[in-house]
Amino acid sequence: MSRPKVYTSRSTSGWWVVAACSISVLFGLRGSGAFAQPTPAASVSASASAPPAASATAAPSAATPSAPRAEASASPTTAPSSTAAPIAAPAHSHGMSAIAGDAAIPLEWLPPGSKVSPLPSDEIFPPQQLTIRFNHKKHVQGEKQTCKSCHSGAYTSTDAGDSLLPKPTETCDNCHYTDHSNLKNVTGDTDPISQCTFCHLGENAGAQGKVAQLVIPKPNLRFPHKKHLDRNVQCGHCHGKIEEVELATRDFLPRMAGCYACHQMSGAAQGDAKGDCDTCHIAEPSGKLTTSFGAGMLLPPAWLHNAAHTADWIERHKSVAANDSAFCGSCHANNFCTDCHDGRVRNRKVHPNDWLSMHPQAARQDNPRCTSCHAEQTFCGDCHRRVGVARDSASGNRPEGRRFHPPAATWTTGPRSSMHHSWEAERNLNACVSCHTERDCATCHATKGVSGGQGVNPHPVGFANGCASAFQRNPRPCLVCHQSSDAILRTCK
Amino acid sequence: MRANYRRDVHTASLRGTSVRLKNRFRCAGPCSRGAAIAAFAIAAVLLPNRARAADFEVQAETAAQAYQVTSPWGDITLDRRRILQTLGLSVYNLQGKYEPGKPTFNVTVKLRLDADFGINQARTGEPPGSETSFDTTGRRYSPGLQEAPLDIMYAYVEGRNLARGWFGFRLGRQYVSDVLGWWSFDGATARITTPFFVQAEVYGGLEQRNGLVLSTGRWERNGIWRGSHAGFGNEAGQATLTDYPSYQYAQPAPAFGAALESAGPSWIHGRVSYRRVYNTGTSITQQFPSPAPPGTDGGYPAVKGMRVSSDRLGYAADLNFAAGAPFRAPLGLKGGFAYDLYANTVSNAFGGAEVYIGQNAVIGVDADYYLPTFDADSIWNWFTHGATSTFTARTAVRVGRRFDFSLQGGARLWTTEGDPNTFGQGECDAVGGGGCTPGESYLDPTQPGLVAYTRAPENRPQATVIDGIGNVAARYRIGSGVIGLRGMAQVGDRGHRAGGDLSADQKFVGDKLALGARASLFDWADPTRPDRNATSFGYVLGVGYQPAKIANFRVEWEHDMNRLVGHRFRVVGLLNLWVMK
Repeated sequence: MSRPKVYTSRSTSGWWVVAACSISVLFGLRGSGAFAQPTPAASVSASASAPPAASATAAPSAATPSAPRAEASASPTTAPSSTAAPIAAPAHSHGMSAIAGDAAIPLEWLPPGSKVSPLPSDEIFPPQQLTIRFNHKKHVQGEKQTCKSCHSGAYTSTDAGDSLLPKPTETCDNCHYTDHSNLKNVTGDTDPISQCTFCHLGENAGAQGKVAQLVIPKPNLRFPHKKHLDRNVQCGHCHGKIEEVELATRDFLPRMAGCYACHQMSGAAQGDAKGDCDTCHIAEPSGKLTTSFGAGMLLPPAWLHNAAHTADWIERHKSVAANDSAFCGSCHANNFCTDCHDGRVRNRKVHPNDWLSMHPQAARQDNPRCTSCHAEQTFCGDCHRRVGVARDSASGNRPEGRRFHPPAATWTTGPRSSMHHSWEAERNLNACVSCHTERDCATCHATKGVSGGQGVNPHPVGFANGCASAFQRNPRPCLVCHQSSDAILRTCK
Repeated sequence: MRANYRRDVHTASLRGTSVRLKNRFRCAGPCSRGAAIAAFAIAAVLLPNRARAADFEVQAETAAQAYQVTSPWGDITLDRRRILQTLGLSVYNLQGKYEPGKPTFNVTVKLRLDADFGINQARTGEPPGSETSFDTTGRRYSPGLQEAPLDIMYAYVEGRNLARGWFGFRLGRQYVSDVLGWWSFDGATARITTPFFVQAEVYGGLEQRNGLVLSTGRWERNGIWRGSHAGFGNEAGQATLTDYPSYQYAQPAPAFGAALESAGPSWIHGRVSYRRVYNTGTSITQQFPSPAPPGTDGGYPAVKGMRVSSDRLGYAADLNFAAGAPFRAPLGLKGGFAYDLYANTVSNAFGGAEVYIGQNAVIGVDADYYLPTFDADSIWNWFTHGATSTFTARTAVRVGRRFDFSLQGGARLWTTEGDPNTFGQGECDAVGGGGCTPGESYLDPTQPGLVAYTRAPENRPQATVIDGIGNVAARYRIGSGVIGLRGMAQVGDRGHRAGGDLSADQKFVGDKLALGARASLFDWADPTRPDRNATSFGYVLGVGYQPAKIANFRVEWEHDMNRLVGHRFRVVGLLNLWVMK
């Protein structure tokens, strides 16, 4: 990692502090510890097919290790019973990955929505550690088992955190001649399919009654399997074609895009497959979604309202929020938005350093965005009046003989050069309003005579065609510059 | 609707009550209020747990800032010593246990005190340009400026998913944010969600306006300067209407609105919004006193009564065909507009398309159109000419989980009626004046020949100036740290601004300790004020500590330097308290 240049100056006494702090930050960055988003466990390859053993749903984000292929393909050396002599089992080539040899999984086998989300969300489904091998295809197609044969718990599960792994005493033991009733002393036949290493990974699996821990963290999700199965939403609707694959890896966990195949109902008023975020996502007591997880921050995908929080999100979030601010409100409380849009402390994500010096030029060039957060007559005007920039600043605040704008002949009174104020006002009237009040403009643009101006017409071409309805709805602006008896005004009445 | 108004002539009677701010002992008012809020926040945070059904949330933010502001003339430096104190209190799930889709009732309140103790009264005797004072009399009085305004940002009771999900409401001070922009009002909102993929929203109340009780300027439409007239009066030294005829009284502003919005499908969403706000009360019109008719002493004409303040209709929609749509394509579309029914013009519009290239890249194009419109009381609606239009192309790319960046480039256009480069010479020719030079000579704007020239449509063809714009943003994550880059450039006839920020933030000690640094370099030039062109270098150093989940504080030091202000410093201290029980 290259070290950025540090600005130094002998003339400024505080620079050593800058350098020291910058270096310490860089050291900190280099020496950083745990990554916020661990790498998902990789599939492993080996051989054969077998039922899974008892395991735990456990440890969250810290667990990531992927079983090395070398280890996975090693011959087992331990017996099913911790007291039995090891019996060699043949090298395994199946059940270690979704497809033998860790081949690519066809898209049509993956869960619905995988086209736009090839991988399941790490935040929703934290990385797993699969320490067994299992061949679903063999069990379903070869042994004619159904999903329910092993995962009957799904039919009664109402919590996404329920462990739906089969109980080996009710499933595996029936065919593998094993006895898992005492997990501290699992016993089995001498048949290779009864050996610990037939299913459990690691060359010492089963030694001293221990096998590597299977880690499948609870998903950060609301999902009642029972409710879905009761409505005939079958396993494949969410998990894809598991009957075609061997090991059911994380690849077969649901994708949000797939959920939307059903969850498009109109809010709380219609059906149970509601489109509301908290139908599936975990929410805080405030109703906002929980977004911070051990595996990272939950962020919207690009395909959802075009709302991917890319590096330029702050530049373009307007178009999403303008359309559906309630969508933003699913995760963000009022505070999050109003810290900027109604804020009083300059946010550096919005305005960079030295903003006070450069903001006049920014306002000239980029004015539409000022008004999304700032009330020009008060936020801008108050400060401009305090420093004497505004024309109607108190006499005690406005320096004598100082002009903010170019000389009068250039800015106002002369024939219009490219620097004349009229062009500036036509291009960006908001910038004018941040300092000027009506009287400043009326001084020249009001009609002559009682109205006090010089009669310089500021209206755009074609203005007279549409002024009548405006006058009827609110005559006040007209009467600032025109007397009610003006012949011109009568044409608008 | 025809405005119900009455034109009236007041004899300089609009002077307002002279409510003096109690700032003799300068810290007494604002400090005590701030201390009270802070004390209440701490007490609420530290309250012992009790059995409860509802969930309570207390949030308090304290921000102390000290920095300097230098006037455009460079020789006036004003101190800012600001303290911002907010206090948010929320009670969620008054109904008991929260269950998705079931009725919920919440109460949310947030108060804010924004105090500035930087006013330097000692400068009272100095020459003009020294500093405003918060006194309500004297030559440094600034209307509407308060030393420590206390306001209610929002405070409402909310119910959701009532009547089997059909009905929701919100009652109190609340925000609305949609294609019509940010807005705030005191009143009620009712929301009806139907089984027909559509929901409706109606609301009504009073717009929050500067000068009303416990209100500060928010999103009332621009164009009218209004607020408290404390300090106005007839006594010597007091401000009068003659001093500030444009400064209007804050009056209740009735408002209502409605919206129709799609609900349910993820791939399409649209919302059509309508909102109307009224001005009420008396408003000065003519900015100069009328000559005294016989038997009177003159005065300022005014209008009275209910009249439109803003009347706008908007629509926005987005569609995404990548997932969930009846037909699939890696494409997202979005667009919207707001139409000002009073000014009879589209005040803003936007649109864009983006294409997804694989999983990690997006390319897109965007367009934005903005035409300033104002409060219907304002004269500036009828000064508005051209829009600001922006067209950009962008790409955002993610390279692994650690690094992503985006690039954006395009053009921003401004229009004028007439060509600024030739119009002045045309004016000179029209008056036939020898020696007439654009930008130098004086012309009587009422000369018939000049008026005829300036108003002739053929002399006012649309002319456009274009700025090139570019933005870059990148993030690189290292563990719990982030290195960020944001850069921009905008270059054209109207000057330029270019530069960027490089920042690094890292957490240590189990994320309790945070260090941050930021360096920036910017250059800008304004052809209308070349004396203000400058190059600026600045840096920020920050350290934060979070001893417990309920509290974190941070201190930042900012040092900016450019030729206009020399060295300028800013110190910011932030303390956040947050408790959810």
